[in-house]
Amino acid sequence: MRKIITLTQVQVKDFLNKYIEHVNVKNRWLGLLSLFIPALFILPAYQLVNSIYEGFNQIGFPELTITYMYIGTVVLMFFACIPMIISVFFYAKDLQFLTTLPVKVEGIIFSKLATVYLYLFVLGCFFFGTSVIVYSTIGEWDLYSLIAGIIALLISPLLPMILTTLIIIPFMALVGKGRKRNLMVVVGNVIFLFVFLFLQLIIARAEMDIESFYHILLQEDGLLRQLGRNFPPSIWLTRMIQGSLLDGGLFVLLNLVFLYALKLVSQLLYTKALLAFNQQGGGEDIHRKGTVSFRKRRIGSQLITRHIQIILSNPIFLINTVLIMFLPILIFMIMLFTGEASREFFHSSELSPYILYIYIGIITAPAMIGNLSATSITREGKAFWETRILPISARENLKYRIYATLLITFIATVLLAIAGGIYLQVSLDIVIRAVIFSVVATLFLSTIDIVINIERPTLNWTSPTAAVKNNLNVIISLFIRVGLGGGGYYIYQLFPHLTANEWVTIATLFFLVLYGISHYIVFGIYTKKFDRIDV
Amino acid sequence: MLALKNVSKTYDRSKRAVNQISLDVEKGEIIGFIGPNGAGKTTTLKMITGIIQPTEGTISIDGVDIMKAPVDAKKNFSYVPDQPTIFDAISGIDYLNFMADMYDVSIRERKKRIEKFSKAFQIDDALTQKVNSYSHGMRQKLLITGAMLSNPKLFILDEPMVGLDPHSARVLKDLMREHCNKGGTVFFSSHGLEVVEDLCDRVAIIHKGKLIACDVVGNIKKSTDTTLENVFLEMTRDA
Repeated sequence: MRKIITLTQVQVKDFLNKYIEHVNVKNRWLGLLSLFIPALFILPAYQLVNSIYEGFNQIGFPELTITYMYIGTVVLMFFACIPMIISVFFYAKDLQFLTTLPVKVEGIIFSKLATVYLYLFVLGCFFFGTSVIVYSTIGEWDLYSLIAGIIALLISPLLPMILTTLIIIPFMALVGKGRKRNLMVVVGNVIFLFVFLFLQLIIARAEMDIESFYHILLQEDGLLRQLGRNFPPSIWLTRMIQGSLLDGGLFVLLNLVFLYALKLVSQLLYTKALLAFNQQGGGEDIHRKGTVSFRKRRIGSQLITRHIQIILSNPIFLINTVLIMFLPILIFMIMLFTGEASREFFHSSELSPYILYIYIGIITAPAMIGNLSATSITREGKAFWETRILPISARENLKYRIYATLLITFIATVLLAIAGGIYLQVSLDIVIRAVIFSVVATLFLSTIDIVINIERPTLNWTSPTAAVKNNLNVIISLFIRVGLGGGGYYIYQLFPHLTANEWVTIATLFFLVLYGISHYIVFGIYTKKFDRIDV
Repeated sequence: MLALKNVSKTYDRSKRAVNQISLDVEKGEIIGFIGPNGAGKTTTLKMITGIIQPTEGTISIDGVDIMKAPVDAKKNFSYVPDQPTIFDAISGIDYLNFMADMYDVSIRERKKRIEKFSKAFQIDDALTQKVNSYSHGMRQKLLITGAMLSNPKLFILDEPMVGLDPHSARVLKDLMREHCNKGGTVFFSSHGLEVVEDLCDRVAIIHKGKLIACDVVGNIKKSTDTTLENVFLEMTRDA
């Protein structure tokens, strides 16, 4: 047990230190203070939870706030968990070292999961944690509810984390066989997420059905069961916080059973999945396969290919990119399948004046959500030195990184423009206006994002998730988008008489000016800073 | 060929890794750069190659200042690092074609050189395989092959013998000597003092960031009945 605790401490320390490194502050105390940066997200979370609480309180079921937020948090945890578990178990650089240590295999698995737990716990604090505080303090102060809620919050990451581990590790071993394993891993996980999203929307759709809604209201605990997706832990948890010791016991017991189940199968997961996966691809006979070709390509083409290959060759980078770029398509398709959205809906009298904005939103989503330039240098990791010694200027080095981002983003934009255009039956005029806006916005965002990466290059990462997901660069880049969106909306409200076409023209010109400024900043100022990045 | 003038590197404003180093490497020379762990060898090589920038001083390669004209300076040398950490999801031949394109090597020339070096290092059969399936030594040999493709005026290597089998180590030593005989220059760091003693025209010794000697092996040893190892240990012994 002592060894497991030490191993877990090392993993957690490494995780936290890597996070502090990402913040890039030299002062130790400021570094520690940076651990509380995510706490800033509590404010918007509090507003959301508070409004949901008021809604449920009005119909006399304030406890449903907890059920609702728990279910939402569990779904969020499942999503966040999948790439993280794949990353820390299958693509982390320390696994070879850990496997040589004289510790039991469950020690390795549990210590690895400790960092996942921490990450999910922070995630749980935002919405579920806030809902516990709101429920226990607004209205009647209830110490028991607060304590039970905090216990539930501490336990809440276990279920999604262990369930995902039990599914993902054997799943990865299954899809990870063969030569195209990286592709299989990505395709398999996208299908997995697709099925998960599909099921969520199917269940959510049932809630929208008026007839079944009345039926639910007539049943005892009907609303609780429906809102809790008939997922027993959510019901037990709600009753536990309301004061039921029996339900509390059941909730805690269920989590303990899952922990024990993981302990029982950890040996099997380790040998049949983890080791098996990590042995794939190694120990191949080195003998000539195929022919050696000597072809000449332009420097730019070689560098763009290199940056794209870095994404394609790492399943975590690829899953992240695919999800960012194509998640709008995925959700859109699922909404169509489930009947959540229809052509009539978009062409209704309420929405038709906004069709240009909707279409722009769809085709600009890859640039808005995606922030590939913000991690372009980081993704290279320790191989970053390679391009630094080549006879290319810093300007070229940066230019082709931006081009690689543009290429990937434009592919997603074109696909969305075609699919969205056909489905929404928009006019050519709308397509042209939207595409011009999207191109200019993409140019600006892809260029300005690289400034963030030059400021915070973070080349020394042990797991690829840390490079592209748990990276403050991504949050900073999202802040730029939120700022632009908020600013745009504020100005929009100041001039209500302008038409959609006029607005889009103004916004396009605005982004064009921003692109000019960002181009000057990157190529005029930041090339020198790029040269000073310490490797 | 290579000139360092009062070069220093300070980390975090207080940690001085390299302290006022001045060094001239002549064309056609092989220079061994030796020093204890943490003496500043890799930092110096990284500054020479433009991977990091010196805090003070100037570095020029074939008369071109690496800080003022980095692209022109980088055309004059190629570098093999101590750790063969490269983007490894591509095949060996793709890596070599990448390097050849970067240095604008013609198809005829790259074919000739890739065949020559890959055969000499016995990696010709592995060129179509992904680099991530290579062993440490094979990666090292691939990097050396890639670095030699442009026939650089200055060949810089950091601990090149680490991970190489005896056959490949011999091939590399012959290649370094051949490169110098043809007018090229070699500057490499090493912990293998015997290799340095056998191969180098001159030896530069760095200790605690300072260059404490730079001369032909005979002059550093001062007498014939001692070894470079003994002299090195004596010079770098902490008081």
